Amino acid sequence: MRVEKKSLSWYLTAIALGIAVLLPLLAGMSYHILNVAIIMVIFILFSSAWNFLAYSGQASLGHAAFFGIGGYVSTLIARSAGLPPFATILAGGCVAAVIGLLLGLTCVRLKEWFLAMVTFGFAVIVQAVVASPLSATTGGWDGIISPRLLPADLPGYLLYEYYAILAITILSIVCIHLILRSRAGLAFAAIRENETEAQAAGINPVRWKLLAFTFSSFLTGIAGALMVHHISFISPEIFHAETSFWPVIYSIFGGLGTISGPVIGTVILTVLWDGLKELGLTYERFIVIGLLLIIVVIFLPRGLVSLPEVLRERFARKKG
Amino acid sequence: MALEFDILLQVLFWGLYAGCIYILLATGLNLIFGVMKIVNFAHGELLMLGAYITATVFALSGLNPYAIILLTMLVLGLVGIVIERLCFRPILGTGKLNEIFLSLGLIYVFQNGVALIWGDERQVLNSPYQTVTVPVGAIQLPLDYIIIIVVTVLILAGLSLLLRKTSLGKAIRATSQNRKGAMIVGINVERMDMISFGIGSALAAAAGTLWVVSGQVFNPYIGSIPAIKAFSIVILGGLGSIPGAIVGGLLYGIAENGAAYFLGGIWKDSISFLILIIVLIFRPTGLFGESGE
Repeated sequence: MRVEKKSLSWYLTAIALGIAVLLPLLAGMSYHILNVAIIMVIFILFSSAWNFLAYSGQASLGHAAFFGIGGYVSTLIARSAGLPPFATILAGGCVAAVIGLLLGLTCVRLKEWFLAMVTFGFAVIVQAVVASPLSATTGGWDGIISPRLLPADLPGYLLYEYYAILAITILSIVCIHLILRSRAGLAFAAIRENETEAQAAGINPVRWKLLAFTFSSFLTGIAGALMVHHISFISPEIFHAETSFWPVIYSIFGGLGTISGPVIGTVILTVLWDGLKELGLTYERFIVIGLLLIIVVIFLPRGLVSLPEVLRERFARKKG
Repeated sequence: MALEFDILLQVLFWGLYAGCIYILLATGLNLIFGVMKIVNFAHGELLMLGAYITATVFALSGLNPYAIILLTMLVLGLVGIVIERLCFRPILGTGKLNEIFLSLGLIYVFQNGVALIWGDERQVLNSPYQTVTVPVGAIQLPLDYIIIIVVTVLILAGLSLLLRKTSLGKAIRATSQNRKGAMIVGINVERMDMISFGIGSALAAAAGTLWVVSGQVFNPYIGSIPAIKAFSIVILGGLGSIPGAIVGGLLYGIAENGAAYFLGGIWKDSISFLILIIVLIFRPTGLFGESGE
């Protein structure tokens, strides 16, 4: 009765998809649960986008910049041109991608902490620019109202929104999967493991790193636009460091450099987070998340997805 | 013209004062980096904890706040040693990204632990000298600022003496220069890791004490931005270079206060990162850095 490894992961994917599609029915259309689920799905997309960049060895601490840029561009175009947000989220993603490409160009020679610092600082700078010199268009610190993704008078509005966002997220993850399975994925892994050796093997690291930066920013911009249209408000608070940290935490918790890692990490931590909130814990839940993060980094550096493997190894060692 | 000169002097002085905090943080980070080759991004949380401990001891005892600095440094030095033993030693050599991620976890634990104990409202400590000013030229300088600059110089001089004249300091420097070589000559490098982490944390505690006694507002979230700036100062000045940290700290302090005064407060944080990005575009290893990564 041994299930093939590949078919096992297919089964798990199918089950996860089934739950995602049926969730609104299981949840009895509760407004609260649907709301949490929408935000969770957006963060799955955001974390997957961050993780895509990390796959090429580049860990950004400033993805809030692209998240916010996507949100602002989409909102501003939707408001001024009267276009449906469904069309403008693409514009948000594209502008975020262009800016990501430019930041990628400055970062291409930087690694690890240097890259982390520059990306973190970039989000701080973008926040200042949006809040101050551009305040005439962006509304400054007061923020602006953002149109809803679908006409809000639709009956069962949230349900449609949930499925729309779910579809976009699934599509994006499939894209990430296809890219990582192609030559690009091999190149990313080679660069991540050893850039000099990758270069010796004829891989041009600059080209691939820029590709990773651009596509990751694009997806992050889309995620940001979806979030902003969902909560129908945007202010420079979106560029706060915490926005940058969540996808990092989710991805590490689930498993860095895997497709399922960010998904699993986001789902488990969101459930835990909201569960602790229900218990009335505010600061404690941050402490729990922080401790979990430390424990995972020390004891389970490849994240929760590696847990079965680690346990099996332990078990086998004890037996042998 | 005279007026403008006064303003410049004032801005310069604010910068000098702000620079002191950065220098203490950056020197600590640099010391730890030199020995362990790791970076604790949660370094600013130690500043924040130091600020709370000083404020609490001050409220309980009513001692002169400047006298509490040694006690706070001692406490945070011990906290630093615990962090090193429990968190950073297990991940030593497992990749640089892990340090960043682990520090993120520490940031959450410290910020919210403090918020749980002391609440997260903004607080201010009233220094006994807060109304005393010293005239320098045409401007009035708060006495607190002058004391802070003097205290920082004293701490740095003490650190320099420790590193240059004592056998412990020589062992720390040896480990920093060549870990394997230090091991061969019989230095317990793990002990050096622990001690340098402790000293670095104590320096952050000193920065936190100076932060509160100068009458700056504090809450559990004050640490992150100064620490990240301190780290970018470390990068700017070159990893492991303490003179670089001092020059960078002063540069940042002055540039920030200049930007805040001439361009508006919102630019205060951005200007330092702008400097960092521009420097790194042209010199990816920092101003005084050699080979780097």
